Amino acid sequence: MRRLLASGVKPLTPLFFVAPAFLIYTVFIVYPMVDSLIVSFNKWDGVSPQKEFIGLHNYAEFFQDQHSLEVLGRTLQWTIGAVVVPTLLGLGFAVVLNRRLPGRSVFRGVFYLSYTMPLVALGVMWSWIYNPQFGALNALLRAVGLGKFEAGWLSAPQSALWSVMATNVWYASGFPMVLFLAGLQTIPQELYEAAWIDGARPAQSFLHITIPSLRETFVVVIALLIINSLKAFDLIYVMTWGGPGRSTQVLGVWMYFNTFLFDKAGFGSAIAWIMTIVSLAIAIPYIQVLTREHA
Amino acid sequence: MAAVVNPKARIIATTLILLVLTAVAVIWVFPYVMLLLTSVKSQGFLLKHNIFALPDRMQLSNFKDAFTSAGLGTFVKNSFVIAIVKVPTGILLAALAAYSISKHGFRGRRAVYFYFVIGLAIPIQVTLLPLNILLKNLHMLNSLMALFFPYIAFGLPFQIMVMRGFFLTVPNELIDAARIDGSAEAQIFFGIMIPLAVSALAALVILDFLATWNEFLMALIFLQSPKNETLPLGLMYFQGQYSTRWSLLCAGVVLGILPVVIVYFALQRYFTAGIYAGAIKQ
Repeated sequence: MRRLLASGVKPLTPLFFVAPAFLIYTVFIVYPMVDSLIVSFNKWDGVSPQKEFIGLHNYAEFFQDQHSLEVLGRTLQWTIGAVVVPTLLGLGFAVVLNRRLPGRSVFRGVFYLSYTMPLVALGVMWSWIYNPQFGALNALLRAVGLGKFEAGWLSAPQSALWSVMATNVWYASGFPMVLFLAGLQTIPQELYEAAWIDGARPAQSFLHITIPSLRETFVVVIALLIINSLKAFDLIYVMTWGGPGRSTQVLGVWMYFNTFLFDKAGFGSAIAWIMTIVSLAIAIPYIQVLTREHA
Repeated sequence: MAAVVNPKARIIATTLILLVLTAVAVIWVFPYVMLLLTSVKSQGFLLKHNIFALPDRMQLSNFKDAFTSAGLGTFVKNSFVIAIVKVPTGILLAALAAYSISKHGFRGRRAVYFYFVIGLAIPIQVTLLPLNILLKNLHMLNSLMALFFPYIAFGLPFQIMVMRGFFLTVPNELIDAARIDGSAEAQIFFGIMIPLAVSALAALVILDFLATWNEFLMALIFLQSPKNETLPLGLMYFQGQYSTRWSLLCAGVVLGILPVVIVYFALQRYFTAGIYAGAIKQ
């Protein structure tokens, strides 16, 4: 029989403990979320007292508007780049740094450092590096004789998004590395030793022991990376402001522009909710992994 | 991974790995090297020489200029203020809730936990416009207060997740004994649980400090006057205003990331503990 409360605990106590967090969370996250949903069913400029109810029209408009569909495509491109490359790099770093190597904590620090920094600072720094005349990248290419590859990295529509994505990979790869390192530590050495005795080569051990043992870590890493990449804003805003043209507009930035710059609050809220639905759908396996153990 | 039996082959393998690793690390560090190098040059020197050239003298006044005349000092101060006030408060609230969820055994605790944890997947964007209006109605807009409650709210899911994970490892006997001794719940929490949880709390403090320091989007929308704005906004203005004064720009960025670097290097080992504890279960 389930008890209402653990023994010795007065009935109101949990209320006092949980209420402050619960209230702040509800007022400043849940309520705005619900309000956004309601706004998304309206046509509204965000300021005037009148809203016009239009049902699902904003959502329909999103999937029919060419700009928005391109934004969706770019977000997919961004997400794939922001998930696949850091995951592979992070795994590679972790596997290598899991051995007893001289200076391995220095390497770990180097690869993780950027992830602690404000993206705005990194964006300003990399905007300068990508600068065609004064930036370090083109100067480097010139210096090693690859001058013909010089480009306007952030000023050309074809390369702008890829350039920002490259910066993002540089920024984010340390994060999966740390998670994989932790996961690798939990794999018992005996498994590898037994495989070695059975004649397995390192590549086979990797494929058949390491990767399967890291399954939970993969779920966590990929879910978190996808969730983060869907709401990407800072780096793109600072480096390219959605441009040139609209070539770096992704969902997170597109939502901001529509809601706060184009006075299309209803449409912007619909974009925000599309982001939220996708994000929540991704989060479900992650949360399942998390809440498997309970009190 | 299994060691290669032949010791000579092993040394060769390790050396090769180290070489590749060092090469990659050099690429990773290269932007920072360029940043530091440029931040101590004068604008004149930059325009006359190759970007890789070492300066004949270091112009450290760039940093002072960035801090004072370019106004970064105010932004740094504001970021500090909001961080110092918000971080301990938010984590305390999270610890209180997490402890109750894990040890008070009340009915519905799993639903409450789920309610909080779902917040991990909620993008900030979906709360922005209503928050803007709410804060305006509460007369908190355009002050650091505007950031206080939303920042706490968005920190709760992760912090509650980590603290609950920790509290679950505390044996119930410890708590039962304290209750039998007549301790009140608050005494148990502050007197026993908090001291026990110090390393988990420390990891959360660091992670939360960084998240607060680095936050951009909410600060962008809720703060409008420069005297109230935080460092990420300041760096953005900096870029706009000094876009061609590269040495000053680089000095500003260095100032902007210096607190983070200091915090990170001083407390590095708590980081990995915090992320691991939070993101993956033991």
